[in-house]
Amino acid sequence: MPFIEYRAKAKNLINIDHISMIYKNSAKKEVVALKDVSLDIKEGEFVSLLGPSGCGKTTLLRIIADLLDPSAGSVRIAGQSPRENRLRQKYGMVFQSPVLFEWRTVRKNVCLPLEIMNVPREERERRVDSQLDMVGLSAFANSYPFQLSGGMQQRVGIARALAIKPDLLLMDEPFSALDEFTREKLNEDLLDIWHKTHKTVVFVTHNISEAVFLSDRVFVLSPHPGRLSSVIDIDLPRPRTQDTRESPEFFALVSKIRKSFEGVYKLS
Amino acid sequence: MTRPKVFITIAWIAGVLTVWEIAAFLLADAFRDPMAATKLPYPQSVVVTIGNNASSLAQAAAVTLSKAVIGFAIGAAVGYLLAVLMSISRIAEQIAFPYLIVSQMIPVLGLAPIIFNLVRNMDASRIVIAAYITFFPVAANSLSGFKSVEAEKRQLMFSYAASKGATYAKLMVPFSLPYLFAGLKIAAPMSVTASILVDMLGSKSGIGVKLLYSLYGGQTDIFWASVLTSAAMGIASYLAVLLAERLCVPWRAAALADSGGRNE
Repeated sequence: MPFIEYRAKAKNLINIDHISMIYKNSAKKEVVALKDVSLDIKEGEFVSLLGPSGCGKTTLLRIIADLLDPSAGSVRIAGQSPRENRLRQKYGMVFQSPVLFEWRTVRKNVCLPLEIMNVPREERERRVDSQLDMVGLSAFANSYPFQLSGGMQQRVGIARALAIKPDLLLMDEPFSALDEFTREKLNEDLLDIWHKTHKTVVFVTHNISEAVFLSDRVFVLSPHPGRLSSVIDIDLPRPRTQDTRESPEFFALVSKIRKSFEGVYKLS
Repeated sequence: MTRPKVFITIAWIAGVLTVWEIAAFLLADAFRDPMAATKLPYPQSVVVTIGNNASSLAQAAAVTLSKAVIGFAIGAAVGYLLAVLMSISRIAEQIAFPYLIVSQMIPVLGLAPIIFNLVRNMDASRIVIAAYITFFPVAANSLSGFKSVEAEKRQLMFSYAASKGATYAKLMVPFSLPYLFAGLKIAAPMSVTASILVDMLGSKSGIGVKLLYSLYGGQTDIFWASVLTSAAMGIASYLAVLLAERLCVPWRAAALADSGGRNE
């Protein structure tokens, strides 16, 4: 894989500059969800935002997606604000739950963003076919979401996010509700898709081995207040397979990240 | 209908008829009540009366029902539009909702004569009252449907930079359909009842008139035939909405049937 060279040449796609996020909770007390977070994400890179609940990883993803406005700091995506980026439909989002429309078949669910973007019918059908093929759900095109397993539903969510051909894929704990076996399978499939499409992926997770398995770099966030505590380069060779998970290098990285959390919890 | 459902329906009808038959027998032949035919005639005699008066009953029913249907349709449209408006704007909701609640505190029995005095037209009164009865359950249920749309679904549409129109067409409206139908199912028989009520305010035709005249004129058989016809109208209106729901919200019935539990 000429992958390492590709990364070295890549320029930054996302610049996150001194982002803070403070909001008032129900008791009118100020909660610092993110405190002074700065990081850059390269074009074509697969990064994870990793940390326990309350570390602000989802908040940060939502700021990138323009679903939240930061209290301070700025985010630029290919030189644009998150709002401009969203209005140009430059990212695809995958949520923790599949967020499928129950009244639409699998095919129509994947088609949804294309309808909104007024993509011509023929082009729409073509793209839906190729997306369904990529996630291996062609046989279920005319099924309704309730007829699919949780893992299959989440695949539909991924196909839908990729259907608009976004530069950026934002994933908010997409596999956290799935069982371990399904999750590992989907991790491998996601990497396959990523190799084929060369998207930039920002992946939020609280699962250390998932972050290590998938990512080029892992941004470790710690809670109360949410801040960036370390950046771990994952130099495991690609393509990564089941064997990767059993390699000593993999275990070393997982244990390194786990140790970095021990410090956090001793303090709290 | 599935086989157990058919069985339940038959058992139900048979049960009602049996109890009715026994009660009528007790009144008429066991206790020899001289007023038995007024209090509770035999079901078969009512059926015979319906058969003998089929065309006049149907005519009366059509007068009442047709206006109820028009009023129901208008009320449903107004109610749904109100719900859309209230879901778009919180201010609109805060302004409109108290009126909705107050509107439900005015009894139809009191409102109907007022409306009749205003419009001086029986058909228009029937339509207005049926619409009035319909709009509230439709508005309240649909609004609750719009509010039940999960945040993530709305965020998904937001992430596509979808317009308000597209968001409503592709998400809010289809999502709220089951809620709309819940409201319609409540409203349909009520709008029929309302239309019958207006009949009784001095109309010259309609099933309500038949009920009233036959009751005061001592035509017990016609009275009971009219009661059954009214009931059939209410049930038919409900079944019509149920059928429309099956057609408009097919995914829901399929999902329920497929959820693996015992639903039926």
